[in-house]
Amino acid sequence: MATSTVTRVRRQLPSSPWLFAAPGLLITGVFILYPFVSTVVSAFTDRRTLVPGKFVGLANFRELLHDDMFWIGLRNSTLYIVCVVPALVVLPLLLALLVQKNIPGITFFRSAFYTPVVASIVVVGLIWVWLLDERGLINSLLESVGVGRVGFLSDQWLLLFSAMAVTVWKGLGYYMIIYLAALANVPRELHEAAAVDGAGAVRRFRTVTVPAVRSTMVLVGALSSVAAFKVFSEVYLMAGPSGGPAGEDTTLVMLVQRTGTGLTGRVGYASAISLVVFVVTVALMLLVLRADRREAS
Amino acid sequence: MSVSRRTLAAAAFVALVLPLSACGSGGDDGGSGDASGKVEGDITFQTWNLRANFKSYFDGVIADFEKQYPGTHVKWIDQPAEGYADKISADAAGGTLPDVVNVSPDLVAPLAKAGLALDLDKAAAKYRKEYLPGAWASHRIPGMTGTYAFPWYLNTGPLFYNKSLFKKAGLDPDSPPKTYDDLFADALTMAHKSDGKVATLANVPTIEDFGRYGVELMNKEGTAFTFNDAKGVQLLSKYKELYDAKALDPQALTATPESSGRKFLTEAVAMNPGSALDLDNFKKQAPNLYKNIGITDQITSTGHVNMYVMGVMVNSRTKRTPAAVAFAHYVTDAEHQMSFAKKVAIFPSTAGSLEDPYFTKEDGTDETRVRIAAAKSLKNAVNYTPVLFSDQMKTALRNEVAKALQGKESPKAALDNAVKACNTLLQQQG
Repeated sequence: MATSTVTRVRRQLPSSPWLFAAPGLLITGVFILYPFVSTVVSAFTDRRTLVPGKFVGLANFRELLHDDMFWIGLRNSTLYIVCVVPALVVLPLLLALLVQKNIPGITFFRSAFYTPVVASIVVVGLIWVWLLDERGLINSLLESVGVGRVGFLSDQWLLLFSAMAVTVWKGLGYYMIIYLAALANVPRELHEAAAVDGAGAVRRFRTVTVPAVRSTMVLVGALSSVAAFKVFSEVYLMAGPSGGPAGEDTTLVMLVQRTGTGLTGRVGYASAISLVVFVVTVALMLLVLRADRREAS
Repeated sequence: MSVSRRTLAAAAFVALVLPLSACGSGGDDGGSGDASGKVEGDITFQTWNLRANFKSYFDGVIADFEKQYPGTHVKWIDQPAEGYADKISADAAGGTLPDVVNVSPDLVAPLAKAGLALDLDKAAAKYRKEYLPGAWASHRIPGMTGTYAFPWYLNTGPLFYNKSLFKKAGLDPDSPPKTYDDLFADALTMAHKSDGKVATLANVPTIEDFGRYGVELMNKEGTAFTFNDAKGVQLLSKYKELYDAKALDPQALTATPESSGRKFLTEAVAMNPGSALDLDNFKKQAPNLYKNIGITDQITSTGHVNMYVMGVMVNSRTKRTPAAVAFAHYVTDAEHQMSFAKKVAIFPSTAGSLEDPYFTKEDGTDETRVRIAAAKSLKNAVNYTPVLFSDQMKTALRNEVAKALQGKESPKAALDNAVKACNTLLQQQG
């Protein structure tokens, strides 16, 4: 009966599925597909903010190869992945194991660990800038214990690692929640059986917990590596618009923003950088998925 | 009436790609540059972060204008300070630039080059004599003929210094540095006496510092930057000395105006540029600093301080050229600039206005003292910021200066690289 109604409707209004999908398609088209196609087209032109560009072939990409700032951006974005992703795959899992236990007051800790996720990145960034300032709280503490003041915000490497620390601190709660959901699906019997067989806490973590949440770890790895490669706010807020001392902390997305915005922005060149970011991001996702598939097989 | 998948895909592709062909083309569909017709019609007026504090002032100006020119209607829109250039870029690229726009010379330059700013030497030449010659010239673009915005208000921020820190370093708190040579000597003394704990400055040198030091910033034709000359190298070498001695704050390489202001508030640095509005801030947030605040002119070795100019541009594509020109002039005429100056610490760019007793007569308050000192220095001030110096160029200079201060490059090599990068960007601007 239901099937015949559907068939009748289809016959009467063949385009009805498209009509239902139209709002979603329109939004996707206007806000995702159109900007994407526009960026790809612009990447092969010398378009500027107020001047329509002409086709320049691969000139923008050739220029990228000789642009020191592009290589600095690529280095920093890659370093961000190398340092931030392992931390964001492992630490939230450990945190989730800690807060998974149903003991009095645990809700407070779960909420506390999640708070940085909902806090505005601008507010968080400014707070960390104040804390890490040459005369900030952390430096005052270090000085009081005889370590002396550390140039967290003036040394290019310390600045980059400080920004990474903020990214990890802010992301912990988010990935912790994902792990908590995964851990809830790990059968209790597996842990009990392993415990009966004499496995300690570390052994149970290695042989029961990790295999059970492996697919979640892959998901977290993929999500955090894409986010890390596209990092902007933390570095922008802590290193300033010029990207740290001599621009040495610039990331690729910061370079896109700096190059392509404003009245004299080089939209074509910035689009070429964006395209590189896109290709690397897709490649990263594919790598992670392939590694997961190989492990699974 | 089924739609084939291929047809649908083709339609979607055309819908997506077709607009690209029009993207940024900005066809010349605007009005004429003739401002001689009847002043009538609806126009839009965009200001730069002024609504929050001056709503009643602008409402009054607009109401008076509409009364004086029946048949006109001015729609006032205000944009936040943050991202103002990006907003103008989006409007200009999208063909939605308002009829009358509040701009600074560096913003008007790319708009004029794109043919979006009305040449006032042609459309409003009769008003030219009402303004200070230097102010009128500030919206001329090298390589182009014409003037592309009415000069509006001027400013030249005073330099604040902490008398208490000067005293502790054994420096005369009533005799602050005036020239760069004085500044370098005092800064090194301050760093030495405080064992590197108190820096005198919180910012690396900007293009305006090079100008005030007497460096030739561009060639006469305005086609190339030249700040890598011997004098430029000398200035950067001196700053390197300051940086090594911690007379320049170690975080200066990443400083923003906000962060350096905070350093001054916390008495970590002894000098900082600002405006008369900062006095209130000091009074509320740092009463101890306020008690010891010293106010002096910008440091300059040329005898001229730097002047910041704000302007009002008319969109060349406006459909209401007479009304837009009349309103831009109305906002910036002597009467309205004077009344605006009495509401906020800015200075009129109209001829003779700075002779008004408001800018010459002391009344014993700090605010008046700052105002009179600034008005006095404005009389021979120079706008050292080249109108073609874009944000990208500022970043290029800043990064090369940072490399020199860190010792990664010699001052000469750093400035050569900065000039090369800026000249490349200049050529790309067209």
